Amino acid sequence: MPDFNLIHKAVLADVRYGIFGNMPPEGPGIRLQACPETCLLHVLGAPGCGDLFTVLTARPACHVRVAGPSQWLIASEDPITDVVIRDLEDLLGERAVVSDQTHGRIRIGISGPRASALLAKGTAIDLDPAQFQTGKSAMTLIGHITVNLARIGHDAFEIIVLRGFAESLWNDLIHMGLEYGVDCIPAHLAGKHPSGKITG
Amino acid sequence: MRLPCPYCGERDSREFTYRGDATLTRPAVESEMADYVYQRDNPLGWHKEYWLHTVCRTWLAVERDTRTHALGPVSIARCERVGS
Repeated sequence: MPDFNLIHKAVLADVRYGIFGNMPPEGPGIRLQACPETCLLHVLGAPGCGDLFTVLTARPACHVRVAGPSQWLIASEDPITDVVIRDLEDLLGERAVVSDQTHGRIRIGISGPRASALLAKGTAIDLDPAQFQTGKSAMTLIGHITVNLARIGHDAFEIIVLRGFAESLWNDLIHMGLEYGVDCIPAHLAGKHPSGKITG
Repeated sequence: MRLPCPYCGERDSREFTYRGDATLTRPAVESEMADYVYQRDNPLGWHKEYWLHTVCRTWLAVERDTRTHALGPVSIARCERVGS
């Protein structure tokens, strides 16, 4: 008999959702979206593997983020399966190894007209759209938490964070966004909530 | 202070951790090990040192003026065996 039962649940299942802070008349300045924990893979390149970004982005239905020298993260809305990992390993061959991080890191969507202003409070990256264009991603800190930050639209970003830091980061983001009004949307309402769709 | 990571670009010092003198060479004999591990100069002026860019986990070899924080060349440490 175990001392306690292990429960499978999304890490952001029990965090605060709803509306927080000063809501401007034109609507929330920030929308925080918990993303479903579907598929997240870490690709670690072998020495001399070159830039595999274009190789990885050629695969359908996946988002590729740069995660350091010769390292990439691949997120997908489709659930992870052994076949997905094996196909990717076959594609990469000796050039890289694949580590399933679906259990280890999660994604948070941040969108809305004040999304850049919110993130600028926490990161050293220049978020000017001319400097950090749509499709770009980078490793950085938000506060003291290491994240992968990607711009997925003019006013839309996505963060990949270690699972254990996700709840703390979620609360930090709400706190940082109080002055703009924050609408926090749970994962199962992704795309269904009236303001929940993260649009490019 | 802002440090230019050759991979990520210029970032502020919160993203970096100081990792010590880059001019030391690991000694071959046991008797010199204590000095290698514990003895440190506190140089005034130009100094070659390691910094870890914690977010992309890259070790950098940085030349820095300890009086002014002016920076000289910054390179990825594994591409340049420093002090050997």
